[in-house]
Amino acid sequence: MSLRRRLLLTLGLSFCVLWALAAAWLYSDLRGQMRQTLDQRLAASARMVAGLVAQLPEDAWAGAAEPMLSIPQSSGVACQISSPAGEVLMRTHGDFAGQLDAPEAGFINRNIDGQRWRVFTYIQNGLRVTTADLLAERVMLQRNIVVVAALPFVVALLGSLLTLWFGIRRGLRPLEHLRSELARRDPETLTPVTIVDAPAELEPVVDTLNRLLVRTREALRREQRFTSDAAHELRTPLTAIKTHVQLASRVPADQMHEAMSRAEAGIARLQRTLDQLLLLARLEVDQAGNLMAQVNSASIVETALADLENRERVVMVEHDSNSVAVEAPHELAAAALRNLLENALRHTHGDEPVVLEVRPGPREVVFTIRDRGDWPAEQSTHNLTQRFWRHGGGQGNGQGSGLGLAIVATITERYGGALEFTARDGGGLVARLSLPAKEHNAR
Amino acid sequence: MHVLLIEDDELVGSGIRTGLELAGFTVDWFTRAAEAREALANLDSDIVVLDLGLPDEDGLTLLCEWRAQGLTVPVLVLTARDAVADRVAGLEVGADDYLLKPFDLDELTARLQALLRRAAGRARPLIEHGPVCIDSSSRRVWRDGLEVGLTRREFTLLQKLLNARGGILDIEQIKDSLYGLDTEVESNAVNVHIYHLRRKLGTGLIRTVRGLGYRLGDPGDLDSGGPK
Repeated sequence: MSLRRRLLLTLGLSFCVLWALAAAWLYSDLRGQMRQTLDQRLAASARMVAGLVAQLPEDAWAGAAEPMLSIPQSSGVACQISSPAGEVLMRTHGDFAGQLDAPEAGFINRNIDGQRWRVFTYIQNGLRVTTADLLAERVMLQRNIVVVAALPFVVALLGSLLTLWFGIRRGLRPLEHLRSELARRDPETLTPVTIVDAPAELEPVVDTLNRLLVRTREALRREQRFTSDAAHELRTPLTAIKTHVQLASRVPADQMHEAMSRAEAGIARLQRTLDQLLLLARLEVDQAGNLMAQVNSASIVETALADLENRERVVMVEHDSNSVAVEAPHELAAAALRNLLENALRHTHGDEPVVLEVRPGPREVVFTIRDRGDWPAEQSTHNLTQRFWRHGGGQGNGQGSGLGLAIVATITERYGGALEFTARDGGGLVARLSLPAKEHNAR
Repeated sequence: MHVLLIEDDELVGSGIRTGLELAGFTVDWFTRAAEAREALANLDSDIVVLDLGLPDEDGLTLLCEWRAQGLTVPVLVLTARDAVADRVAGLEVGADDYLLKPFDLDELTARLQALLRRAAGRARPLIEHGPVCIDSSSRRVWRDGLEVGLTRREFTLLQKLLNARGGILDIEQIKDSLYGLDTEVESNAVNVHIYHLRRKLGTGLIRTVRGLGYRLGDPGDLDSGGPK
């Protein structure tokens, strides 16, 4: 059920019930009051007649054998005066012989000639005065009053229902706008929703929705960009492999060897790119995993150097023989350090050494890698951790997957470390990777 | 036929160059957009193979620039990005064909041949010029139904003359087609090839336009002067 219908139904029904109860209360109250008033008037008229009759001399009716019917008859009301002896002295309705006689004083309802009468008898000094009025007239009066009183009620009720309908419709219009706006749009559309005159209650909803849309759009764009880059990075070595394998069967025998070794170089590059891509994918999926793992800083260095090509070019500077436990999984910490070292070696020509300095501290372990590579002194380092970005476009040193430093950045971020690159005066790069020490986190 | 190859990847580029050279093309290979721009300004290339992901500049920018300059040289775009938008982008700015990496070397050469053929206004690989018949896809030549053996450069020269459709080619244009940029060429090398072609297919095949260069002889000229 829609919110509008629900509101209309709840409020409309409550209105109707409340108004009806109020009307019923008013009606019953009015009926009682009216009955009382009419009874009082009936009694008052009986007393008035009795008072008038008492003024007459005693013998005014002594000689009357028949009741005197001198009072002009009027419809709806009747009156009868009887002597203490029980004789009827006067009566308005001649045909009401004996029917207005009452044994005692007070009100009584009586059926006379098929009509209901309200009869009141008043006794004064033995003189009985009986007054009566027609009940049907009272009912008619009541009905008129009900009609007069109920009509404004009904009009007011209808009016409030109408106001209610308009009010709810108007009040819910921004919601309706939002609904139709959302219903109209293509599910693929990620442009922000705009609602004109959004009320304060709806603003946070629209804001949150729009922020979510923007974030989704950005994430999607990043994802598409990444997929496209990944496709490029995988297809390029694949092209090299395919081309050189095809060439191997066409070139003269003496060139075949070269074609095959180039194809192999392509395979090695493809494998490296795949490994790095998979590592990155694992890092992204495994958000919370292995958070509790910890590893010795010396063991990180050992593993990082173990499968590094040209490791003899790495010069170690250690400040403290005491190794410190690092709050990160062994494999990933070693992968981060190895990627930094590989990067430094790749961009350093000839036999130029790469310096690795490990400084374990109470709060963090800092790995500093200094090289005299091809990084220009004045160049900004902000691109370095961007995925698939390569220094110099990868020419000449195109063995890199373009993902190594992006992976280091992801690992560092995941385990609360810090990574910064600084261009050196005179060329080359300083990479500083710090990982939080275990003691720091312990409570 | 001279191919200007622009491909930044060392492994891929070397493979394509060797492959195209095997198929009889003369190849000059560049890895940077700036180098390619300069090369095309100084060189009369018959066709360009352009990789889009260049380190210094986007390949598409280069292509746009060439088309804006009015260069009509056929361009085949190589791309590793397979999204439709990426593929269409190349064609929209003036590429004549595109090939998605990884591709087959045979397909690349076939497409290049087709592009050259179309650029010369032909739909079929078979060209008949009087009694001479040339199949550009299999690189074979017949005269009066008898196959004539031509060297790679002789064939390229013949193809170039045929594609010019009677237009005059100067020595530089012919040199570019046969040797590209890199090779140091003897001054009379082109003359030697022309002499050999005339000897094998008939003196009327190539006419010397004094002071300007050479052009293809009329088909009728060939009937009179047979091979020596």
